[in-house]
Amino acid sequence: MEEEMNVKVSDSLDTMADQELIVLRKTISVDQKFATGPVMGKFLTALKDKRILAIQCPECGRLQSPPREMCAICRVRNREWVEIGPRGEMRMMEYCYYSSPDPLTGESRETPYGAIGILLDGCQKEEVFWHLLRPEHLEMVEMGIVMGDRITRGSRLRPVWAEERSGSIDDIKYFEIDEQAR
Amino acid sequence: MSFREKNRHVGIVGIGETRFSSHREDVNQPEMIREAVKDALDDAGLTMDDIDCVVHGNMELFEMVHQPDLWHTLGTGARGKDAFRLTTGGTTGGTLVGAADNLVASGMYDTVLAIGFEKLQEGHTTGGITNMADPLWARKLQSGALTDSAAVKAIAEFGADRAKRVAMLYRIIMDKHACLNPNSHRAFGLDWDQMEDLMENSPPLIGDLRLIHMCSQSDGACAMILSCEKKAKQQCDHPVWIRDHITVHREETLNLCVNHYPNETTHRFAARHLYERNGITAPLDYFDVFEMYDPSAWWGADWIRDFFLLEGDEHYRLIEEKEIMGGGKMPINPSGGVLAANPIGATAMVRVAEAAKQVRGNAGPHQIPGTVNHAIASSFGGTMWTILMMLEKELNW
Repeated sequence: MEEEMNVKVSDSLDTMADQELIVLRKTISVDQKFATGPVMGKFLTALKDKRILAIQCPECGRLQSPPREMCAICRVRNREWVEIGPRGEMRMMEYCYYSSPDPLTGESRETPYGAIGILLDGCQKEEVFWHLLRPEHLEMVEMGIVMGDRITRGSRLRPVWAEERSGSIDDIKYFEIDEQAR
Repeated sequence: MSFREKNRHVGIVGIGETRFSSHREDVNQPEMIREAVKDALDDAGLTMDDIDCVVHGNMELFEMVHQPDLWHTLGTGARGKDAFRLTTGGTTGGTLVGAADNLVASGMYDTVLAIGFEKLQEGHTTGGITNMADPLWARKLQSGALTDSAAVKAIAEFGADRAKRVAMLYRIIMDKHACLNPNSHRAFGLDWDQMEDLMENSPPLIGDLRLIHMCSQSDGACAMILSCEKKAKQQCDHPVWIRDHITVHREETLNLCVNHYPNETTHRFAARHLYERNGITAPLDYFDVFEMYDPSAWWGADWIRDFFLLEGDEHYRLIEEKEIMGGGKMPINPSGGVLAANPIGATAMVRVAEAAKQVRGNAGPHQIPGTVNHAIASSFGGTMWTILMMLEKELNW
């Protein structure tokens, strides 16, 4: 036994150069739960009733949805709630071909999909709402662009609500082209 | 924005880099870090006995190893020394240098070793970045570091044809630089006549952001040794002086859809404040080289305008006239930049390290012609973090 140990100890890095290199594979799976707090909680609760809420800064008046406790620009607490949408105008789209993992499920997302910024009715400028586009409508939507004074209108969109709603982002399945607006 | 001058000057006396690669299965994490640390110590002619403090950083969520500085002690040499651990996303490497600079300038330590590393092959980069988004809403929507927003903005402003050409021209220029840098992970040997083919046929990731535009996932480490003026002059014939650095970030996290946000970008805000307080009125004339954290060719092309406080299409003309190559008006990323190698926790430090090597004049095959007296390096983090670091050859400001 002692002799065997001595042999191992004398192995220098140089003589180890041609040995098999082992790579250990691990998969992590973690159960998580996140408290929403009362502000985000109020917003999520309203989704169950098919209502989209924004919170308004008492100083600059900007709307935030999903809501945040503070306006970090004015450094004041937001208190006033405003109902926005649920219809709106398409602004920015990330047309995703790359299948990134959905961290909520660990599953690879189906591609292509569109992560979109929607200017919901009642909002302005950068007050866009972030959600998904109905995949079948990927090729049919127009993106609205604001470049200084140059403004082009994007497609009108409406939400498609999930049958069963629990107060989460999944309560809205996606947004789709609003045929009534045509 | 309050700002105070340093208590004392700080110089870069040692720089170490591993080669960057998609495959470093030949070494484990501490072994890889040791390569960069040894390289930096040898470069400075120092040993670990000369190091007072070690600052170590990466993004834990990529390799999913928490407090990796404990495992890494054999590679970092931090045993028995004061040590700090930092992580700020893509900016980590810049934060490490900034922190080391502040630790030395404060008078707490004379010589500090800063180490940034990443082994992206040991985790899932896009999954990790997506987990930075808030789990209550944005996590479902976030697509890692990938975004089409810069392309959308550029196409709206300059038209699809010009914008796509400029992005691809920028990409090919970076590859030409990368081919000269022996440490590059990706150096394809691209040539000008491949523009059309790449614009059409490179696989799309998101919208007009194609695979060829995007940075890589690399393994690698970088180490830098910073000393106070007195020590630096004893340790090194030509320290590179860190004149100033600035860090700026924004409240919103990861809402990349807000691409027409009316506020000034963090890049322009950082540049404007840094130049104002250092009395630099014409940054394009003042600096001799710029090492930019350019995660994609679309971003790289766009950001030149903000970093040099340019207007209109001035930044596009710099690219179109190839003024960003060695010998041009403003050589950008002689190293090949982030498109050549992206070991994220090290990436932003490599920008400072490569800028410092250009100032020293010993960058290697990718050393640009002429004397480099003034250099600037940027760091970028996904939540719109910006760090700018100004380097000087002489202590004369």
